[in-house]
Amino acid sequence: MIEVMFGSLWAMLTSPQTMGLMLIAVLLGLIVGVTPGIGGRLSIALAIPFVFGMPMIPGAVFLLTMHAVNGTSGQISSIMFGVPGDGDDAATTIDGYPMAKKGEAGRALGASITASGFGGIVGACVFAVMIPILEPVVLAFSPAEFFLLALLGITFIAFIAGGDNIFRGLIVGFYGLMLATIGTDPYTGTPRFAGDYLFLWDGLSLVTAVLALFAVPEMIALGVQGGSISAVSQETARFSYRQLFEGVMEVPRHWWLALRTSIIGAVIGMIPGLGSSAAAWFCYGHAVQTSKTPERFGKGAVEGVIAPETGSNAREGGALLPTLFFGVPASSGMAVLLGAFLILGIQPGPKMLTDQLPLVWTLIWALVVGNLIAITFLLFICRWAAMLTFVNGAMLVPFIVVVVALGAYVAEGQWENLLILVGLSAVGYGLLRAGWPRAPFVIGLVLGKIAEESLHKAMELWGLEFFLRPLSLILIGLIVLTIAFAVYRNLRPSKALAGLRIVQ
Amino acid sequence: MRSLLATLSHSAMTLVMLGIFVVMVAVASRYPAEARFMPFVIGIPAILLCLLQLVLEARARRSDEAVDQRSELEKAQDTASQIVGHQVAFEPAAAAPAPSPAPAETVRREVVLWGYFLGFIAGILVFGFWAAIPIFLVAFLRFQARTSWRTALLLGIGASVALFLVFERGLKVQIYRGIVTNVVLDQLGR
Repeated sequence: MIEVMFGSLWAMLTSPQTMGLMLIAVLLGLIVGVTPGIGGRLSIALAIPFVFGMPMIPGAVFLLTMHAVNGTSGQISSIMFGVPGDGDDAATTIDGYPMAKKGEAGRALGASITASGFGGIVGACVFAVMIPILEPVVLAFSPAEFFLLALLGITFIAFIAGGDNIFRGLIVGFYGLMLATIGTDPYTGTPRFAGDYLFLWDGLSLVTAVLALFAVPEMIALGVQGGSISAVSQETARFSYRQLFEGVMEVPRHWWLALRTSIIGAVIGMIPGLGSSAAAWFCYGHAVQTSKTPERFGKGAVEGVIAPETGSNAREGGALLPTLFFGVPASSGMAVLLGAFLILGIQPGPKMLTDQLPLVWTLIWALVVGNLIAITFLLFICRWAAMLTFVNGAMLVPFIVVVVALGAYVAEGQWENLLILVGLSAVGYGLLRAGWPRAPFVIGLVLGKIAEESLHKAMELWGLEFFLRPLSLILIGLIVLTIAFAVYRNLRPSKALAGLRIVQ
Repeated sequence: MRSLLATLSHSAMTLVMLGIFVVMVAVASRYPAEARFMPFVIGIPAILLCLLQLVLEARARRSDEAVDQRSELEKAQDTASQIVGHQVAFEPAAAAPAPSPAPAETVRREVVLWGYFLGFIAGILVFGFWAAIPIFLVAFLRFQARTSWRTALLLGIGASVALFLVFERGLKVQIYRGIVTNVVLDQLGR
């Protein structure tokens, strides 16, 4: 184990290709994080065409690093201008922006950037610690359980993304599963839903489907919304590097809080269903509850910046665990990342622990090294990076549409994929317009083939009795409980839950 | 009649999904037993879920549920107020992203943007990527993003050249040249 662990680090650090890609990924991830209108999911979807055909490890490192550092720069607009980009950043705004208003923008940014990086590193460490603990559990799973895990994955994502209505998420997940059946049936050779169209015989292009469901609708929506965050006095954006360094030093000064909230964030990340902003708000709440002076919170307490930032970034390390070992993504961003991993040839499941352990360790190291590079970069460039907040959304739309079209074509070299892109984009935009979640679609499409293969194997081995295996019963119980809880939450939303749900 | 139309528009997405599943299950029913197994395992429960969703939507319309219309910032402030135990409120320096346009204006913009998108894809299919990309970029930047001709031409042509170098030269990918371009190149070759 030790040999694999450090061998992976050495191989990564000494590979100019991997390190070069990691640097590009850090830069792109930071830019995307601070630019309005391009979320983490969209950035991964857009990066897929560029990693297509790349070797597995450099491609995976590129995508994961980009995804991991995305949130590190996201808080800049929250702190400096009081405009949270998403739910995670909203928690940071509560104390970060009052600090900026008091003339401590540099201190708040220094603390948040360092805390975010620290959280990312601790999250990776928690993931590493969990590997030997989870190994026997993962290896105990059989094809029967993997079929049910696919259903559980869809249920969890439907629960996270579906908001008040889990059924919408489930329908979208089933839509993804259904489209995954397009292509030649592996058992009879029948071309299902493909007719005489040869380009469909190998199945629907995953790259095209992901781009159509996420990128095109987001771009149309951004174009419709138009404009950028309105201009703001440059006064808020002025601060000294001395102030920034003071902020950096706040993290070691509050090391115990940073460590606790990082671990809380990583553990929350491991639990699919808790939502992307839950970690940030839980950690913020923890900081308030454990503080001797809770009355300072909401008025510019630096702990109120450190806690949500460590928690939300540590979550990425934890979220990788169910994604890689069970194929159950813990967040919608991880769902798109999982789709991208599959395109690179990475199959989630027990083989990650047996055949692909060096890859797992490389990904852990990528989180650590990527976060270290991101902190260093961002501390130097955050003054200028803040200006990206004012990029006009309408200017980004055509460039992203061009990359999307190129990506859909390059993935398989088939012009017919452009027609699929148009058709699925219409469905994707309909989902976006109607407020339906889209992440379950990716999980359905990604896990469809694995689910079908596992179901056939389980039926051959045990017949319908596979539903009665102990692990199967646990998974069925989890699926039923998740749906029941979602229905209950929908019918009787409690006050405590409402607080968490509204920011998901 | 108006009530029926309102219900249909409210449940449009569910009806689209229901339609997709019904058609796919119907098509799958003609396949051999093993080939139709998975589409049935997925499609039949999905149809039931769509029907359940239709019932829920009909009920939700009747009860006319209040929609949470608070902004992200207001939601964050309310959540933080609950956690810290006192009212948290502040005015952002930047007045947040521009407010959503009126419904009629939204539809107009959607039609325009879909027009650009479909026109671009049609342009690729007919004339190929390297002809469609610069035209699309320049047109969009000039008429939609309202930049100056100079900026639009500079960015549009610059980005097209950069993409050409990345894909054709760097990644060595043969990019689609379009039906007309292929015919013209063939004629010129003769």
